[in-house]
Amino acid sequence: MKDDLTVMMLSWEFPPRIIGGISPHVYFLSKSLAKQGVKVYVITCDFPDAPSHEIIDGVEVYRIDSYKNPAPDFATWVYLMNLNMQKETAALTRKIANKIDVFHAHDWLVANAGIGLKHVFRKPLLVTMHSTEMGRRDGLHTSTEKMIHETEAWLTYEAWRVICCSEYMITHVKWAFGLPSDKLVMVPNGVNTDCYNDIDADLKDFRSKFALPEEKIVLFVGRLVYEKGIHVLINAVPKILEKVNAKFIIVGSGYMKEQLLNIVRSMGLEHKVLFEGFLDEQTLLKLQKCADVSVVPSLFEPFGIVALEAMAAKSPVVASDTGGLSEIIEHDVTGVKVYPNNPDSLAWGITKVLLDENYRKRIRENAYKRVQEKYDWEKIAQQTKHIYEGVLGEYSKSFWA
Amino acid sequence: MRIIIFSWEYPPRVVGKLSEYVKALSTQLVASNVEVNVVTYDDFFTGSAQEPTGVKTVRVSNPVRTHIGVLTWVLTLNQEVERAAANIYYQAKKQIDLVDVYDWHFIPAAVTLKNGLGIPFVYSVESLEDHRSPNTNTSYNMAIKGVEWLGFYEAEKISVKSEWMRDEVIRIYKVPKEKIVVISTNPTSWITEILKLYNSTSGGLKGK
Repeated sequence: MKDDLTVMMLSWEFPPRIIGGISPHVYFLSKSLAKQGVKVYVITCDFPDAPSHEIIDGVEVYRIDSYKNPAPDFATWVYLMNLNMQKETAALTRKIANKIDVFHAHDWLVANAGIGLKHVFRKPLLVTMHSTEMGRRDGLHTSTEKMIHETEAWLTYEAWRVICCSEYMITHVKWAFGLPSDKLVMVPNGVNTDCYNDIDADLKDFRSKFALPEEKIVLFVGRLVYEKGIHVLINAVPKILEKVNAKFIIVGSGYMKEQLLNIVRSMGLEHKVLFEGFLDEQTLLKLQKCADVSVVPSLFEPFGIVALEAMAAKSPVVASDTGGLSEIIEHDVTGVKVYPNNPDSLAWGITKVLLDENYRKRIRENAYKRVQEKYDWEKIAQQTKHIYEGVLGEYSKSFWA
Repeated sequence: MRIIIFSWEYPPRVVGKLSEYVKALSTQLVASNVEVNVVTYDDFFTGSAQEPTGVKTVRVSNPVRTHIGVLTWVLTLNQEVERAAANIYYQAKKQIDLVDVYDWHFIPAAVTLKNGLGIPFVYSVESLEDHRSPNTNTSYNMAIKGVEWLGFYEAEKISVKSEWMRDEVIRIYKVPKEKIVVISTNPTSWITEILKLYNSTSGGLKGK
């Protein structure tokens, strides 16, 4: 196998442009691949004050004109942006004398560019499906949703391999697009442990801004929307307070905020439940380190990165047994799993963790070990590199080679 | 000379006047010893890839069935046009002299092929969005005008059928006059003029 493996990563978001989980994913994956000696180009959308070309941690980043004129709607904008992305990537590929081995696309947002480039340069295309329109919308209800779904189907059809971040997503994607099993491969999402290790060990003063010394901290991080199950946690609060003195810290925002605040007020628990909104990264990292328990009560979760972050921060996790969370958490070993959408079960899990210090210590240590073994970006980059090499081995026997 | 023509209509698919025009042009070019590949849209009226006239046609269909407008329909169809054109390119051992693209629909594919493979293209103007939808500047129309602008900017040469159209292209898109060639459909000079245009375009990207 040649050692100058080159990959052209296509992603609609890359830091400092952060819209969702794809941006940090592509950043850490690209950086870790570069460490493995892979030459990585990232082609992404432009962002105010970010340069159109720069090298970040060994990764060559090109930011393209993302079509800034008004577009009729989001989906049409995506296709117009792809026109620019494809044009500029084609020019770049020609400039480097076609010295690339694979195109790697992330989600339907770069489908057109990825598919067109594959055929124009006759190089293999891989895709990571982070999510699906069916999953996001709980079905396909409008023409736009159907169009996006069919674009996803087209992308997975054209791809040599389809990477998903959990077994749950593998099953879902296989069913949603009717793909053969040998086309799908699971590579978990990674989590960065360094950012937690860099934090000062003494967080006593920091902690006192949020809770009294005798109060345990229960942390929720996520959008305040139905699928995240935050209402289940709020309903569990009085049941938990019967058994243990705790402060509930809610980080994030969303359309359910007012409704949730009203419930907390009607229970007379405003002094126990703090809504912090969005927090800056450092504050969030510190809170995750301080938390006596981190709660992920989601009803739908393709992966569940927030559970992994808590594990990396050495905060014990209580999560609902659903989607990707079911795979991340091993019950009684790396965390506690509870029934989804069930406040009694959730209260039981949180109480169990808060009342038993030895148990807490044990699952924290196990969880941190698991993160290092399975969700380390270096290992994930190695797996991804192996997938590229496997695809290139198959490609070398095809008439395109 | 080996060329590829992009047109979103070609017989038996007839939407406007373009279809019969491209057919007549292709047939005449074949008679003048040009290898003509037409890449067009398959609306399921035909299956044959080889026309009796000697024109090679590839008909592509849209990989995405559901659409919310002509714009999304066109933008997803372009990758299939690229696939068809790339197949012709690689089968011809990368010897394609130029692409001649009719109207805005397949400009994205022509632009990608130019930037990625160095195949120059002629943008042949049949009509403009500004005339088709006068006095409308919705984001939808502006996006189509944006694609037309990209075509004028990236094209090696622009071909129009009348001096009026040449002046309109200059007025609306500020294209330099030297880039535009007026070729009337006068039967005595038509094909000669087209061949002259192709010859001046072919190899236009070499050394760039």
